[in-house]
Amino acid sequence: MARHPETDLVPYLRGELPPAERERVARHLEECPDCKQDTELLRDLLGNLAHLIGQPPEVSWPRYRAELSKKLEARRARAPWWRRPMPLAFSTSLAGALLLVAVWGGHELSRPGDTIGLEEVAIGSELGLLQQFRTVERLDLLEDLEVISNLDRLASERQG
Amino acid sequence: MEPSDEALCERVAKRDEAAFDLLVSRYQERAYRLAWSILRHGEDARDVSQEAFIRLYETAGTFRGKSKFSTWFYRILVNLCLDHKRKHKWWKLWVRDDDDDRSERILDRQPAPVNDPVDKLSREETLKALGSAVDRLAPRQRAAVLLRVQEDMATYDIARVLECSEATVRVHLHRALATLKKTVEKR
Repeated sequence: MARHPETDLVPYLRGELPPAERERVARHLEECPDCKQDTELLRDLLGNLAHLIGQPPEVSWPRYRAELSKKLEARRARAPWWRRPMPLAFSTSLAGALLLVAVWGGHELSRPGDTIGLEEVAIGSELGLLQQFRTVERLDLLEDLEVISNLDRLASERQG
Repeated sequence: MEPSDEALCERVAKRDEAAFDLLVSRYQERAYRLAWSILRHGEDARDVSQEAFIRLYETAGTFRGKSKFSTWFYRILVNLCLDHKRKHKWWKLWVRDDDDDRSERILDRQPAPVNDPVDKLSREETLKALGSAVDRLAPRQRAAVLLRVQEDMATYDIARVLECSEATVRVHLHRALATLKKTVEKR
């Protein structure tokens, strides 16, 4: 006989098992009197438990709702300001102020002074020479070579 | 046509107070009853179920609609109940809990009185013992049993609420009912 389907009995009683599994459990119950008896007992137990658990003490629902509203209000007051729901008037004003800042900021950015600054950066980035730092470094050296090559001429000019 | 729970939850995420009120009125009794069944204390059940609604209000935006709203909400509620039980475990040992003395209430609610006084006594004793046995179940086992018998939830949904596999739920249910069965058999 296959293993006892102990953990399958509750889902079996509720009709949750897929057909193949249900068939397997049903076949087992036909062959195993112990499991069959267990299943009957479980059926009674589940049926009685609902009554057995009983009902909670009575509650005044208007009072329950009033308490809930108060607790919710207290929780909102405790929440940081950015998480609290904003009144419509305030949120509209805030949105308007943000829009103004955005428009003014955009206008400021589009002024000529700033454009030149941006253009300079753009030109600078395109100068290959400036990007080759080693070449720039050697410009001084080239200048020195020119002085050296003209030393004789400089000396004769001074004597003359 | 009445809006679905899921549609209401979506509106709560946008801070629609009317939708929140409607969801609370749909679930308040079930939430309170389930919390009480797990906690066995009226005041705690009221507090914890109210806290669950506050969490619902705060986190409605995180509900993605992958599961039913009820499953998602019960997960919040059951987790709060289990947390509450964990935190108050030792305290409860020292303080007598009036709501815990439920034997009279259980017996008051039993259907079909039995005529034979001996049978009646035996039945009452069995039910009383069974009630105590339910109270002594491990919290997750008890939650699984309660979701099954009170909310008539399928194993799949209980697994979503308890955030475990279906196999684990089957084991929880099997163990819990085996314990309760032993209590009945002893009588």
